[in-house]
Amino acid sequence: MTSRAGVVRAFLAKDLRIHARDRFYVVVTIVGLVFYIGVFWLLPDSVDETLHLGVHVQDAPAEALTDLVGDAEGFEVTSFGSADDLEDAVDAGDPVVAGLDLPAGFLQAIAAGDDVTVRVLLRADAPEELRPALSGMVRELAFVLVGEQPPVTAPDLETAVLGVDRAGEQLSLRDQLRPVFVVLALFVEMFALASLVAGEIQQRTITAVLTTPARISDVLAAKTVIGMLLAFSQAAIIVVATGAATRGPMLLAVALLLGAILVTGVGLIAGSLGKDFVEVVFWSFLIGLPVMIPAFGALFPGSAPGWIQVLPGHGLVEVMVRTTAYGEGFTEAFPYLGMLAAWCGLVFVLGVVLLRRRVVRL
Amino acid sequence: MTGMTRMTGRTRVSLARIGILLRKDLRLGPRSPLVLWALIIPFVLTLLVRGVFGGLFTAEPRLGIVDQGASELVAVASELDGIEVTLLDDPTELREQVERNDLDAGWILQPGFDAAVRDGERPQLDLFVGGESLASTRIVVAVTTLDLVRGLDDAAAPVEVDLITIGDEALPLEVTVLPLFVIMAVALAGVMIPAAGLIEEKQAGTLAALLVTPTRMSEMLGAKGLLGMLLAVVAGTVTLTINGVIGVSPSVMLVAVVLGAVMMAQVGLILGSWARDINTMFAAWKSGGLILFYPVIFFIWPDLPTWPARFGPTFYFLEPVHRASVEGATLGDVWVELVVAAAICLALLPAVVAMGRRLEGRVSRRASRRDEDEVQPVA
Repeated sequence: MTSRAGVVRAFLAKDLRIHARDRFYVVVTIVGLVFYIGVFWLLPDSVDETLHLGVHVQDAPAEALTDLVGDAEGFEVTSFGSADDLEDAVDAGDPVVAGLDLPAGFLQAIAAGDDVTVRVLLRADAPEELRPALSGMVRELAFVLVGEQPPVTAPDLETAVLGVDRAGEQLSLRDQLRPVFVVLALFVEMFALASLVAGEIQQRTITAVLTTPARISDVLAAKTVIGMLLAFSQAAIIVVATGAATRGPMLLAVALLLGAILVTGVGLIAGSLGKDFVEVVFWSFLIGLPVMIPAFGALFPGSAPGWIQVLPGHGLVEVMVRTTAYGEGFTEAFPYLGMLAAWCGLVFVLGVVLLRRRVVRL
Repeated sequence: MTGMTRMTGRTRVSLARIGILLRKDLRLGPRSPLVLWALIIPFVLTLLVRGVFGGLFTAEPRLGIVDQGASELVAVASELDGIEVTLLDDPTELREQVERNDLDAGWILQPGFDAAVRDGERPQLDLFVGGESLASTRIVVAVTTLDLVRGLDDAAAPVEVDLITIGDEALPLEVTVLPLFVIMAVALAGVMIPAAGLIEEKQAGTLAALLVTPTRMSEMLGAKGLLGMLLAVVAGTVTLTINGVIGVSPSVMLVAVVLGAVMMAQVGLILGSWARDINTMFAAWKSGGLILFYPVIFFIWPDLPTWPARFGPTFYFLEPVHRASVEGATLGDVWVELVVAAAICLALLPAVVAMGRRLEGRVSRRASRRDEDEVQPVA
């Protein structure tokens, strides 16, 4: 008598063979992995938090001014020997985004209360906020030079910074994009599973195998295992290859496993609904969108809007960001894992029910 | 009469039959996910790029203000260029939002703050910055805040500032990516729908069935091409409308979109006549699509030399759209490009006809083989 495990193993071996023969998915998977990992390592691993300013002081060493503003955190001041050099540098956007061109005898004229005009040079495409900021900075500098006190009492820096001060340790584009790459890899595998399921339904191979001792539950179990296996392995490869596996490996493994179950459920739904390649693409995209949106949402500063926080992919993305970027553990990740697990259960059950109904009605 | 003789027999092209075939496709079209796909994708792409990535690339410092004393600073700050100001009622909420990094910085303006500044009392400024805000953002917010507060007492600054802008203003992201939206809209609908429609008819056998009636291959291609063209014009026009540029130079936009739709529908007919199945069509689309899409790169990065873009056929309807949206170009300004686009459409016609004949021949041969199989005596 054939054991259930043996039947499932046989289905698994068959599905793996079919999957390996499908050049489209094999190519997309390999190219995708190489592309994601390659792009990841090409991205900057740090955030440039500094405003690069150029300064030229006529008839005087620029150090007089650069000493004054150059120590402030967030500024990097480069001095230029002539106004033309400064203009060229600002125009090129390298190495400065803006420049201050101070007239001859600036310091003395300020001290004497004479009329002084400072040229603030900005590239046309410089961030808008630099216009008021640099104008204000020059005026404030002049106030300081004439001995004027600031108009307000400045707040204490320690109490003014709310939350963990990440100055100098900002989340790099690499860290922000890692969940996007993982979710995209999961999406491709979900799409592959959906195609596999749709293909079997269309070719009625599922009906054929049900005339053997195999049961629907065996088919479903095999599809589930293959979906999870493919999705988890792709996601794990990306996590390992992007150097994130050392930070909370167990927690990441649990999150990726849940993510793999989630996309397997989505793949079963899309495969059950789609009748051909075009329909599978359509349903995969439509149903997969709520899994992908939170990953893109994480690219933005601040907490995700409420509607993103309830989407299926939010828990996975939060756990990934918090673990890989901030080193948080199971305790902090618990609510997100819980939400992800709940979505997994819901989507997976729906996928199984839909596929079972579809097979039974064939 | 066998299918083959009916198919090769010549009747006159009937506009009525094209109309019937088109109506059938229009009736059945909305049921196809591909039609939905072709019409939805441009919307999704526009929203994604403008709403998501546009915001990402042009992120401004976000300042929250709780005004407890009707300060004049609120109005002044709200008019600042490049700083996104949010007004809140509750200081606790402000602190929470700054801490969550939903705001980069926040002010709590106490009652009597303005008067205290004017009286030279140097009141405490309740300025908060988020731990996740960039150092440069903190500097910008702090310096701008001080400058605005200075402005309250109307004291003349000891220095005049002459703000000089260098270089040309860069085109905003939504303008540079407009050709991408247009090509996505026009090409997806114009190419994919006629191509997929022809392939489906081939695979389902309805093409062979139709060709044993007086319907000619040219009528079939005409109907499929018209459907693709119509949907491409709709998708292109809607894309231009949701991007807010259709009104800038409507005549240029419309002519360019129509020419683009005709060109793409012809490409779709060639692709659909050639491809065996949907998978082959997608495979060809992924590689051949590059020829249609690459000119877009030169609009997104205008500093690149533009001559390579001129080798791409789609350049000649995208360039008028781009110039119309950027500089309000009229038909007189872009007539050369539009004439070249029309010439490309004319040049594609023989290819469409040749591919149609090839397809007709293949369908006829297949039908003949089937006929022969059917009359073969059973041994």
